[in-house]
Amino acid sequence: MSATETLPGAAEAAPRTIPPVDRESRRLGFRLTLPTQLLVLFIAGFPLLMQLYISLTDWSPLDGVGWWKAWESWNSFANYTDLLEDRRWWGALWRTFIIMLVCVPAEFLLALGLATLFMDDFPGKRIFYSILLMPMMVVPAVAGYMFFMLFQSGGPFNGILSALSGMDIKIAWLSDPTLALVAVMIADIWQWTPLMFLILLAGLVGVPEDQLKAATLLGANWRQRFFTIMLPRIKTIMVIALAIRVIEIFKIFDTLYIMTGGGPGVATETISVYIYKVTTQDLIWGYVAAIALVILIALSVLAVFAMKRMEAAKNGGRA
Amino acid sequence: MRRSPAFEIFRYAAIALALALTLLPILWMVSMAFKPIPEWSATGADLTWIPRAPTLDNFRFVFGQSTSDLIVALERTAWRPILASLLSAVFGTVIAMVCGTAAAYGLSRFGSGKNLPLALIQLRLFPPMAVMIPVMIMWAFLGLIDTWWGLALIYGIVTLPFAFWLMKTFFDEMPREIEEAALVEGCSRFRVFMKITLPVMRAPLASSALLVFILNWSDYLIALLLTTKNWVTIPVYMASLSSSMTGQLYGAKAALGLLAAIPPVILGIAIQKHLVRGLTFGALKQ
Repeated sequence: MSATETLPGAAEAAPRTIPPVDRESRRLGFRLTLPTQLLVLFIAGFPLLMQLYISLTDWSPLDGVGWWKAWESWNSFANYTDLLEDRRWWGALWRTFIIMLVCVPAEFLLALGLATLFMDDFPGKRIFYSILLMPMMVVPAVAGYMFFMLFQSGGPFNGILSALSGMDIKIAWLSDPTLALVAVMIADIWQWTPLMFLILLAGLVGVPEDQLKAATLLGANWRQRFFTIMLPRIKTIMVIALAIRVIEIFKIFDTLYIMTGGGPGVATETISVYIYKVTTQDLIWGYVAAIALVILIALSVLAVFAMKRMEAAKNGGRA
Repeated sequence: MRRSPAFEIFRYAAIALALALTLLPILWMVSMAFKPIPEWSATGADLTWIPRAPTLDNFRFVFGQSTSDLIVALERTAWRPILASLLSAVFGTVIAMVCGTAAAYGLSRFGSGKNLPLALIQLRLFPPMAVMIPVMIMWAFLGLIDTWWGLALIYGIVTLPFAFWLMKTFFDEMPREIEEAALVEGCSRFRVFMKITLPVMRAPLASSALLVFILNWSDYLIALLLTTKNWVTIPVYMASLSSSMTGQLYGAKAALGLLAAIPPVILGIAIQKHLVRGLTFGALKQ
C-alpha cells in the first residue's frame, strides 16, 4: 500500500522479475506458504461451516447433545429474524458506533497536533516521545483496571476535579449510564492516541525536508506548508491509521469490560460485550453463531470492497 | 527549521500537558501497588498520590506469602498465571513468526499464495468474539481448553496477519541484489532464504517478533474464554482477584497489573526505533 508512495522505485521494480520464476522457486513458494494456508483453512474453513450449521438451530452446550446433532433443534432462520428485532443487539451496535464516532476523530486530532510538535528536533524530544508511547503498550485489561480505579467515586479523578473546582466532587462515574460511556471513551482515547501519534509522526517525518524548505523560501507560511505539502503527502498513512482504529474500536472489549462489565445495565454494552454475555451467560450458541455470521459477512464484504478500492487507487496511480 | 520563542513555549506547554495526562493513570496504579490496606480506598483529604506507608505486602500477597494485614488465603498464587502468560505468548509468537515469515517470503519472491493478503486481512478484521463459538467447540474436541498450548495455537493464528504483513513489507523493500549474487554463485533458493535473507533481516524479524509478543501478552478475551483454572493468564487472573470477603483487592490487583504492564512497556520502548521504521518502511523511502 505504502509502497505506492515510493514513486520512482516502484514503477521500475514492478515488471522486473529477475531471475525468472522457475519450477524450483514455485515449489519453494508453495512450501513456504503452506503452513499459513493450512492455519487459515483450519480457523476459517471448517469453523465457518460449523457456525453456519449451528446458526440455523437453537443449539446450546447445555442441551447435552453434541453440536453435530444440533439439527434436533432446527429452527430454520428464526435466529436471523430474531436478530432483526433484538433491541439489545441494535443498542450494542449503536453504542459501538457512538464510541467510534467520538474516539477516532478525537484520537486523530490529538495525535496529529502532537505529531506536528514533534517534527523537528528539540531538547528532550526522545524521552518525551518514549513516554508518550507508553499507554499503547500497557496491557488493555490492565489499562481497564487503571481507569476503573481512577473513576471510583472517591477516586483520584474526582479528587483532581475537587482540587480544581474547590468543591467536594463525588461523581459515581461508572454507575451513571452516560458518564460510564464517557469514562470508557476517555480510557480508549488515553490508550490509543499514542498509536495514531506514532503512525502520523512517522508519516510526517517522511515528508521531504527540501520540499518544505523550498516552500518556505517561496514564502509559504506554516499553515500553507501544513495543508498543501504535509497533509497530501501523508494521506495514505492517515487512511491507514484511521482504518486501524475503526477496526479496533469495532472489536472493543478488554478495557471496557474490566471497567464496567458492559454496565450499568446495558449502558456500555458493545457488540463484543453483548456476544460475550450471550455466549457465557445465556449460552444460546445457535443465536450467537447467527450474530457472528452476520458480522463476518458484513466485514468480509467491506474488506473485499476496501481491497478493490486500494488496488484501483494503486493502478490508477501508476498509470 | 527555526521557530519563534512563542512557538517553543507553546510546544513545551502542550507536551507537558500531554505527558501529565499520559502518566497520571500509570502513576496511580504504581502508587496503589505500594499502598497498605488502610490507604486502598482512602477518599477526600486522605487520598494521596504517594503512599504514606509504602509496603511490598501487595506483591508478597499475590505471590502467596501471608502478610499481617492480608489474612485472606489466596486460592492460587500469581506464579502459575505468569507462567501461563509467558508460555502461551512466547509459543504463539513462534507460530506466528515462523508461518508468517515463510509465507511472506513465498509471496514476496515467488508470488505464491496470492489469496493470503486478503484472507489474513479478513482474519485481522474479525472481532475474535465472532469466531469463538467454533473455536471453543474445536478446542474442546481437541482437548485444548485450559492448556497453555491451546492458547499458544490460537494466539499464533490471531497474530499471524501481523507477522505476515510486517514481514511482507520488509521483504518487498529489501534490495534483491544480495540474494541474486548468492544465486549466481550457485546457492539453492531455500539456502539463500535461510543463510542470506533471514540474517540480513535480523532487525526487522526481531522487532516484528517483539510486536507480536506484545500483542499476545496483551490478550484478555481469548484467555477468558479458553481457560478456566489451571492455565489462566495474568489479565484473567487479575480480574478474578476479588472475593466477597475482601471486596476489591485494590492494592493486590494494582501490584499484579504493574507486573503485567512492565514487560511490554520495556520491550515496546526497546523496539520503538525499529517499530517506526517497520511501520513506515514503504512511506519513508523516497
